[in-house]
Amino acid sequence: MAVIDRHAKKVPIAGGELPEILLPTNCPGCGVALVLAQMREQNYVCDCGHHFRLSAEVWIPIIADEGSFHERWGDVRSHDLLNWIVPKRYEAVVDELLAEGLNESVRTGTATLDAMPIWLAAFDFGFVGGTLSIVAGERLARGMEQAASTGVPYILVCASGGARMQEGVLALMQMAKVNAAVGALHDAGVPFFSVLTDPTFGGTAASLALLADVNIAEPGAAIGFTGPRVIKQATYADLPPGFQSAEFQLAHGQVDRVASRTELRPLLSHLLEMHVNP
Amino acid sequence: MSVWEVVELARHPDRPYSMDYIKRLAPDFVELHGDRLSADDPALVGGLGRWRGRTTMFLGHQKGRTLKERVGRNWGMMHPEGYRKAIRLAHHAARFGFPIISLIDTPGAYPGAGAEERGIASAIAIAIMEWFRIPVPIVAAVIGEGGSGGALGMGVADRVIMLENSIYSVASPEAAASIVWRDNSRKVEAAEQLQLTSREIVAMGVVEEVVPEPIGSARADYDAAAAALDEALARHMEPLLEMPTGQLLQHRYERFRYIDSLVRAEPGFGPKID
Repeated sequence: MAVIDRHAKKVPIAGGELPEILLPTNCPGCGVALVLAQMREQNYVCDCGHHFRLSAEVWIPIIADEGSFHERWGDVRSHDLLNWIVPKRYEAVVDELLAEGLNESVRTGTATLDAMPIWLAAFDFGFVGGTLSIVAGERLARGMEQAASTGVPYILVCASGGARMQEGVLALMQMAKVNAAVGALHDAGVPFFSVLTDPTFGGTAASLALLADVNIAEPGAAIGFTGPRVIKQATYADLPPGFQSAEFQLAHGQVDRVASRTELRPLLSHLLEMHVNP
Repeated sequence: MSVWEVVELARHPDRPYSMDYIKRLAPDFVELHGDRLSADDPALVGGLGRWRGRTTMFLGHQKGRTLKERVGRNWGMMHPEGYRKAIRLAHHAARFGFPIISLIDTPGAYPGAGAEERGIASAIAIAIMEWFRIPVPIVAAVIGEGGSGGALGMGVADRVIMLENSIYSVASPEAAASIVWRDNSRKVEAAEQLQLTSREIVAMGVVEEVVPEPIGSARADYDAAAAALDEALARHMEPLLEMPTGQLLQHRYERFRYIDSLVRAEPGFGPKID
């Protein structure tokens, strides 16, 4: 039989070489001394299973084939719309983060994964807590609209505290804006896969993050709507260990799978292939 | 009036709630209950009434007046079942071509463990996405508190209006203070920064109109407040009733897709605090 055995093909766990990141001396999960070169080879997952948080700059080469990522709308930046001055001027906060080399809370563009074309969007928790802003919403919605009209599958990597306070109700409106675009993706029958990493909360969880055709969560990632601190404040409830973890969300029917970052790319490749060549 | 005074007015326990308006707009209102999955969320009332000669689906957050009722209504904070009930009723309206009026008055979705266990995030996400597919006219009005994703989950509409002394915000001032300063006692400062008053929200282009309230605010005269809301809702609803469905849904999509176009056209745009 001339059936291609998808499992026979070995998909590398990363598309390219990952940038070096700052790691603690010891793993917060198991306490072992970390070796940067080894962690880098393992997509920054410790042998004990601890997943380190990654910026968009690291996520892009994990998902995308080497050199295939073409960033779009990277030149739009956030501005202070509400004259936000405390505790710090919002404009200055954005300036500083841009100077550090970050580029907003969401970066997006086209790429290939295992030679299959994709749209890729990655949240950056380092940029104001990965919060949904006008620029983030615009990058997400434009990419989804283009994916819907061209039939290119959409892959999202989430890490976000929710909507950005400093952009007020306009940040809230981004939830509606991106969900309208998710609806367009669904209506066009374009595959949409969401990777939920630590942490995914608030307006991001309550908009595009959980609306994918397949929701994949990283082990141990905290995922929910209201953060545990606020739940405790509001209800004086004692939250059990593991509350809002990826495994908790799997048990409560919110995610399809919990997958280690070292299995993620082969899984995405397999899912893509099944959707694109049914 | 200071920003904080507006917040207190919007939350005033004597302020008319959804049912106070619905009873005046449609005296023959029949409440419909339940999400058809597991529960009925009393924080959201829904049902049918004849409004200006037309069967209309009313939805609204309902806070309680007495302590017992407040607890029963969960202070107008919806659980996941509330959003599922709203969408269930929206589909009902769509089957029969009834227009929908959504009255928003909530501090936010319920921030509790049970809501998390039953999927509040995806319940809101699905509701927001589904509203874009409901092929009948929808007009939403913020009548008190428009708090966070909990409000937006009921706020995707063809037109959104606000009563003069209502607020609409990305988070309650307490939650914003807790997020920005890790100190929810700085709520007054947060309220000033968030630009959540109706005057500021309409200037950002997020709502179509601010409906003036009677002298002494809506709580001074329920009938006059309801009459003003009635008139504004009708004025926004009428052109929608004439619109072909495809155009209606396209407009709704574009309304939210380009909702920040005013600010993007002019980076310095935005009402400023003096």
